[in-house]
Amino acid sequence: MAGFITFLFLARTGIRENKVLWLLIAAFALFPIFTHFANLPFWNDVAMRIMLLGIAAMGLNLVLGYGGMVSFGHAAFVGIGAYCVGISQFYGLTNGWLHILFSLGVCGSLGLMIGYLALRTSGIYFIMITLAFAQMLFFFFVSLEQFGGDDGMSIDRAEFAVIDLYEPLRLYFLIWAALAFISLGLMFIIRSRFGVTLRAIKSNESRIEAMGLEPLNFKIISYVISAVICGISGALFASWQEYVSPDIMHWTRSGELMIIIILGGLGTLAGPLLGAIVFLLLEEFLPLMLGEIAPTYAENWMILFGPLLIMVVLFGRGGLMGLTTQYLAREKSHKTEEG
Amino acid sequence: MTLTLFLEQLFNGLQAGVTLFLVAAGLTLILGIMDFVFLAHGAQVMIGAYAAAAITAATGNFYIGVALAIPVTFASGYFLEYLIIRHLYQRDHMDQVLATFGLILFFNEAIRIGFGPAALFSNLPPSLSGFVEILPDTPYPTFRLVVIAIGLICALAIHIFVSRTRIGAVVRAGANNPEMTAALGINIKILFRLIFATGACLAGVAGMMLGPLTAVQPGMGEPLLILSLVVIIIGGIGSVRGAFIAAIIVGLVDTLGRIFLPSLLRLFFEQATADGAGPALASMLVYILMAVVLIFRPTGLFPAKV
Repeated sequence: MAGFITFLFLARTGIRENKVLWLLIAAFALFPIFTHFANLPFWNDVAMRIMLLGIAAMGLNLVLGYGGMVSFGHAAFVGIGAYCVGISQFYGLTNGWLHILFSLGVCGSLGLMIGYLALRTSGIYFIMITLAFAQMLFFFFVSLEQFGGDDGMSIDRAEFAVIDLYEPLRLYFLIWAALAFISLGLMFIIRSRFGVTLRAIKSNESRIEAMGLEPLNFKIISYVISAVICGISGALFASWQEYVSPDIMHWTRSGELMIIIILGGLGTLAGPLLGAIVFLLLEEFLPLMLGEIAPTYAENWMILFGPLLIMVVLFGRGGLMGLTTQYLAREKSHKTEEG
Repeated sequence: MTLTLFLEQLFNGLQAGVTLFLVAAGLTLILGIMDFVFLAHGAQVMIGAYAAAAITAATGNFYIGVALAIPVTFASGYFLEYLIIRHLYQRDHMDQVLATFGLILFFNEAIRIGFGPAALFSNLPPSLSGFVEILPDTPYPTFRLVVIAIGLICALAIHIFVSRTRIGAVVRAGANNPEMTAALGINIKILFRLIFATGACLAGVAGMMLGPLTAVQPGMGEPLLILSLVVIIIGGIGSVRGAFIAAIIVGLVDTLGRIFLPSLLRLFFEQATADGAGPALASMLVYILMAVVLIFRPTGLFPAKV
């Protein structure tokens, strides 16, 4: 009982300190009502993709933003998560919970293995070795002919005992629940002693070592957790897309996850979700905008997105979360001046 | 497995290796001296290939196409550094990855808009499209031999330039300690820009030579970029000698692995297992090699910085 009360207390302060995140999650819960009345069912699909990408980016953010480890191969874990579902279905296993358990196990042990090997290096070498492992896995699935190889394999939506994912909105709320659960979990992890140590390692690794802690252990554990979160995103992604191909783990996908985090705000809880919203909205609207100006080139929206990305890197330090925090801080100082 | 096949693949591997080296040579200096993660180096390969293909198509002469494309790639590298890259040296690796990722997206789309999404095929002039007998009864395409020769000449030139000339000494000094080099009165900014432009130019030459061998299409430089990153990591960041040796190793491992690994596996496993695992293992081989090198020598085989 006491434990439960502590939990509630922690959750309350956690929610208060991460208003933007929980506002977004609440908005996602209410979003289907909006699409229903506005008669825009297509946007439910976009929202699901935002949430899935948001989950994966949140996982990456744990190592990238909080731990300061620039992993350039996290799309591989998303892909592995999705392939775990596809391959277990291929062998007749249809239970969705087992799929997720399977994805967790495989991504966790792969994360442990890759993390253990890659975290011996740092800097550019770490970026490259994570990329190398991701490429290895990418080519591994490209050449697995019995699972579709290059063309990928189609997947049925998983069966979750009482929840039939083919009913409308069931998948939406399953993804939403995963998002809320993972956000809560990450909130606790980051506020915990482990999370504080991880952030301390980012700012001064040798100091943590001098305090008698082994930074490598913390890094590996955070790497495994982030791999597992990406795996969950991938497993749900398989049900959403009803298809998986090696394209999901292409190295540009890893780049996209990093873009999402930088857009939203590195090392913040809400950043990845905010970044995912902006990223996918840009992906939807840039072609439309470009189509208005130059109809023949609507497909080439990347020509705007590339420079935009460079601008964000050059001028937008801290991403969108940086801007919101600045805004909130200004509001607060106004209020205290008035009061 | 006959001797002819083996020799042919050996030359193919060598050709892939020297092409890789041309891409990796500039990139290793950019990574090593400027400590800059430059992912858009693959785009320079593409720019070189397109420039050569377009000028060849316009003038009808392959040699003029290549000769004019070289200054184009040099200029593209020079202005890219001036406009964008120099603002990013002081940023962390993550920012560099993202900004240069943005550059890749931009260049790929720009090429797609300018030249269409379909691949261009450029024909070789008759003087280069024949075959040479490297051994009795073993014909080998002339152009691939020319590529190997040009690659080796470039490698030798780069080696002499870096290790025998004054500018080369400055470049090496820059790789070891940029601040100290600047303190000695070297204009490190201009040095950076020239290295960058030269690197872009070398990558462009690789693109020009690959053009007639493979298809010239948007995004063609990216597989090469990833492989040349592998080369640089294996060779040791900032080391031109390391990049050359690693490029030849990677080129040979990749080419020979693809051809011979499936049949090699067949000796030890059943046919079905070998056929299934062979191609998978072959395409992973290079990355496995890199991981193994990094685990045992975390700074590569020939680290430049002491």
